[in-house]
Amino acid sequence: MPSEQLLELSEERTIERINLQLRVQHFALMVSVTLLILTGLALLYRDSAFGRFLIALEGGFEARGTIHRIAAGLLIATAFYHLFYILFSRAGHEEFMQMLLRAQDFKDYGAALLYDLGLRAQRPQLDRYSYREKFQYWAFALFVVIMIISGFILWFHDWFFGLLPKWAFDVALAVHSGTGTLILIVLTLWHLYLVHLAPGRFPIDWSFWDGKISEKQLQQEHPLEYKRLKEKGVL
Amino acid sequence: MKRLIALAVIIGSAIIVSSWPSYGQRDPNARCLLECHGKPDFKREVAPGQFKSLYVDYEQFKASVHKEKLCVDCHTDVTVIPHQRRPEQIHCLQCHYQGNVVGAPVSERPEKYKESVHGKAFERGDPNAPDCKSCHTVHAVRPPTDPLSPVYRANIPKTCASCHVEIYTEYLEGVHGQALRNNVLESAVCSDCHREHDLFPPDDPRSSLHPQNVANTCARCHTDVKIMERRGVPVKQVEAFKKSFHGIAIEFGILRSANCVSCHEYHKILSSRDPRSPIHPLNLAQTCGQCHPNASSNVARGRFHIIPSDPDAGIVFWVYEFYRWLTIVMTAGFIFYIVLDLYGRWRHARRSSHG
Repeated sequence: MPSEQLLELSEERTIERINLQLRVQHFALMVSVTLLILTGLALLYRDSAFGRFLIALEGGFEARGTIHRIAAGLLIATAFYHLFYILFSRAGHEEFMQMLLRAQDFKDYGAALLYDLGLRAQRPQLDRYSYREKFQYWAFALFVVIMIISGFILWFHDWFFGLLPKWAFDVALAVHSGTGTLILIVLTLWHLYLVHLAPGRFPIDWSFWDGKISEKQLQQEHPLEYKRLKEKGVL
Repeated sequence: MKRLIALAVIIGSAIIVSSWPSYGQRDPNARCLLECHGKPDFKREVAPGQFKSLYVDYEQFKASVHKEKLCVDCHTDVTVIPHQRRPEQIHCLQCHYQGNVVGAPVSERPEKYKESVHGKAFERGDPNAPDCKSCHTVHAVRPPTDPLSPVYRANIPKTCASCHVEIYTEYLEGVHGQALRNNVLESAVCSDCHREHDLFPPDDPRSSLHPQNVANTCARCHTDVKIMERRGVPVKQVEAFKKSFHGIAIEFGILRSANCVSCHEYHKILSSRDPRSPIHPLNLAQTCGQCHPNASSNVARGRFHIIPSDPDAGIVFWVYEFYRWLTIVMTAGFIFYIVLDLYGRWRHARRSSHG
């Protein structure tokens, strides 16, 4: 049957869906956030064996703080690099424009829920960036902004003492640890589930490293992008 | 009748004996007291024109913990009375040692004392260094529970003041000294913070006043709900400190971080309502400025010693609650989403395999 032939072909052939620029940015983000979470958790759970293990692993209490700030430096650099990339490079700007939220994304999200529940026969037709990618991107963008601002207040408290009331530091601390915990939850239960742990991808999806996706997966998960590439003759 | 007379004689002699000077003829200590040491002006010329009193207030001795003892029980080198030579100085450990046969109570305190600042100074030969008798007195040793004892709670500051008089005057101005003057016996006295026998300098990790131990030392009273409620003092301050930046840094050995006394002072601790207090809102900029040079009046705008999960924390409590609920709701939402996603995939797989 022709459809089966197509499936077999598509599974073997891959295309580079994520360019090197984005892969490098994602890698820097991944490394810095992992370090920030491990050093942050060490402080948050300092009273437990888990926290003490992390602190020992990080070379002691003060080294833990130093690693946290170095990783923060990497995150801030990555954030600014990304900002320049989407503002001043054509490729970056095009990616960003596709990342903007549209009403269709919320409709797709509702349709996907109904489809999973069996209340809808058709899977929603998703594009290059679906509601999944967009929600994650914007959630992390917001998280990074919150963490950089609150982290800066805590990092440079001596300077901010002349500027902010005492309660602002307490709020910054509560926000920093609260958002940090939230990031951990979103990363593990949502991001890691979607990209690595879900059936069909487990244990790891290497596209974060090589940017490649099989035509079959592209056709299944991003049918609109697949169609567009097919029309352009890229595939 | 004969029996009645005999009874009268016994009672009468008992009255006479008891109204006698208390070192009655039968008191074995009488030999020491009658001729010499019982006389208030009995003294010895230690240098030309300089005298040392050798008088022993026997009334005080008879009220002391050693009332059953004989003079020669301690002054063991006195074998003939009157003695020919000056008796050697006696030492408490003559009796108070492990395994003594006279039933003298033994504790670790003398050993602790030997390690303390006072013991070390004494060992170096510092003439001002106190030993046991400096605080416990010589012949009038009373238990610490006796209000007449120099080591009774209310008397401890005065006892320490016999050497540390300047600190004593500072202490009396602070809240603890004021409370003690108002007969609040549960107020802190010197030994509550400095300890008595194991008294170390603050840079010694064993010291109750080492930066890492200060909060726990204050906590001995300041986490006691009953005492703090009686005195109208908040009780969560120590817990909040330990959860704060300063407390965490101290816990992990960054000793330059602030501890309780960095802001509250120590001997002259004053209420935040007192304009002289370093924690009075108008003085906070200067107090915080000791470590944070940019501190301005801003540092007084906000609550101190807050626990985020406690409604007393104000806005911080609400931020904390917001994040707590957001985290709970989002965790539940993600788990729901994962379950739904797996269910959807399973349904789809089953349908396509059937179809």
